[in-house]
Amino acid sequence: MQNSFIARNPSVLWFLAALGLFTFGVTILSEATGLGLISTSFVKTLGKTLCLCLIAIAMDVVWGYCGILSLGHFAFFGIGGYAIGMWLMYARTETIVLESLAGQNIPATPQEISDAIGNQIFGVVGSSDFPAIWAFADSLVLQLAMVVLMPGLLALVFGWLAFRSRVTGVYLSILTQAMTLALSLYLFQNDSGLRGNNGLSGLQNIPGFEATPQATISIIFFLASAFALGAGYLFFAWVISGKMGSVVQGIRDNEARVRFLGYQVESYKLFIFTITAIVSGIAGALYYPQAGIINPGEIAPIASIYLAVWVAIGGRGRLYGAVIGAAFVSLLSSWFTGGGAPNVNLGFYTIQWTDWWLVLLGLSFVVVTLYFPKGIGGLFDYLVRKPS
Amino acid sequence: MPTLLEVSGVTVSFDGFRAINNLSIQFPPTGLRAIIGPNGAGKTTFMDIVTGKTKPDEGHVIWGEENVSLLGLSESDIATRGIGRKFQKPTVFEAQTVRQNLAMALKNPRSPFAVLTHRKTAENAAKIEAIAEEIGLTDSLTRIAGELSHGQKQWLEIGMLLAQDPRLLLVDEPAAGMTVEEREKTTDILRRAAETRSVVVVEHDMEFVRRLDCKVTVLHEGSVLAEGSLDHVTSDQTVIDVYLGRGHA
Repeated sequence: MQNSFIARNPSVLWFLAALGLFTFGVTILSEATGLGLISTSFVKTLGKTLCLCLIAIAMDVVWGYCGILSLGHFAFFGIGGYAIGMWLMYARTETIVLESLAGQNIPATPQEISDAIGNQIFGVVGSSDFPAIWAFADSLVLQLAMVVLMPGLLALVFGWLAFRSRVTGVYLSILTQAMTLALSLYLFQNDSGLRGNNGLSGLQNIPGFEATPQATISIIFFLASAFALGAGYLFFAWVISGKMGSVVQGIRDNEARVRFLGYQVESYKLFIFTITAIVSGIAGALYYPQAGIINPGEIAPIASIYLAVWVAIGGRGRLYGAVIGAAFVSLLSSWFTGGGAPNVNLGFYTIQWTDWWLVLLGLSFVVVTLYFPKGIGGLFDYLVRKPS
Repeated sequence: MPTLLEVSGVTVSFDGFRAINNLSIQFPPTGLRAIIGPNGAGKTTFMDIVTGKTKPDEGHVIWGEENVSLLGLSESDIATRGIGRKFQKPTVFEAQTVRQNLAMALKNPRSPFAVLTHRKTAENAAKIEAIAEEIGLTDSLTRIAGELSHGQKQWLEIGMLLAQDPRLLLVDEPAAGMTVEEREKTTDILRRAAETRSVVVVEHDMEFVRRLDCKVTVLHEGSVLAEGSLDHVTSDQTVIDVYLGRGHA
């Protein structure tokens, strides 16, 4: 069964092989496990890029295959990040607090410990009480469940309301923008319970592994991200192959016709929207421990728009296109905005790429949309002639 | 003869315009029926009502032996109960192969979970082959539907309808844009389909209706003007006045 699936989708095997090779290469060149030619911070950048590739394939499935231009999938990514961040921050603060209280003659009561942790975490927003949403923060297992459940539930409720009312096209896009904006604005408030604009920080420190150097932690997260991307790719490739893929692409091309064939279009959209939201949440949960910090700005509406741009440039309607787009554009973006690109002196004006990168990105988006609707991934069509 | 679909006293208004006015019409479980009428007579609206796209203001639409009311059911629900619809413009999934198009239409469980875990079976493959044979696309099964000629797309869509195995087929202008040979073939497909199910053809083209050689219902201003054989309705004075007369003037 598995063999025939791979045989029918040779690009899956090619992708997994390329990903494996890349992962292997980075591992033997990294500081922790190899020659030390790749710095720890760059390993983190690559690991984060893999997470962005993972959310990009989710975006490709929901937009490129199902035709739902969601401009809110970064909300799910952020929720995944917050969910894991709560445990990371709680557990680490707990360790610190316990250490500092250990020297006292009278052992601290559980209440005192809890107050001290609360004070440490929420002092920055002038509070020391644990909000209700932190109820499970002391349990890794429960917070990991939240990584999956919270984005899934939000997508389920939002999607059910939107699809049931037959909101489609640009109206749905606007609605998803409103969702991520509302979530972002809510989290910006100090009394939202997630430290307002400070967000959650120190996430690169993994509780229980204080003695482990960041070089090692970075490569572990890199490998985990690569594994997640591979598994996500395989999962989505399976979902969109076969009859499900037929129906989903049918919905993209002619929703009404699918309905008259007897398919409940709304259920299919809800299914696709929800599974892609869950995968986005998982991608976020892997991304933020590598980034070290998450704040509400991460889920501002613009983030989800960038996501759509990556997928469009990479080539929507093919999973590897989304991966290429996300990796290429986000790495290029950090090169340009990180001062990697030399400024261009025109004599009368100096082009500073930190300012002009967005203009370049915007232009390439327009050019790709107008002249290369298949994106970078479309180039593969010239290399491989599809057997009909 | 028992009735498969009964539409009675249906009225629909759009912004005060009565597209369908107290329309009553019945269809038996098998056989062909042609519905003709000038533009704006309510032919397409009638199909929209039966398939659940438009909700009528008044009236009843009763389906099958159990006399289920179709009003208030969703399009997909009505489709799975056995009503198939072919649109005027051929609407097939152009990015997919002929086989995929037919496989999607084939009568099988429609829930996302059932579709996700769907496995190809020899039985389904045989059904697809049989339908492809019927619509003359056996050699084109692996072709992308977008590459087909206009006539082939029309047949593919009819094939998709047959794959759904509906009890009632609503077919909107199947012969539009077809050559004479293609029309003949289309007529044959529809005739054969009508042996086991009810086939309703909405058509402008009198020549094609004559070829179908079946009972004809003339619609005018949203209600039935005349019903009977083509010769009977074309000799009816009111029909000549409102439809044919205007057409020949």
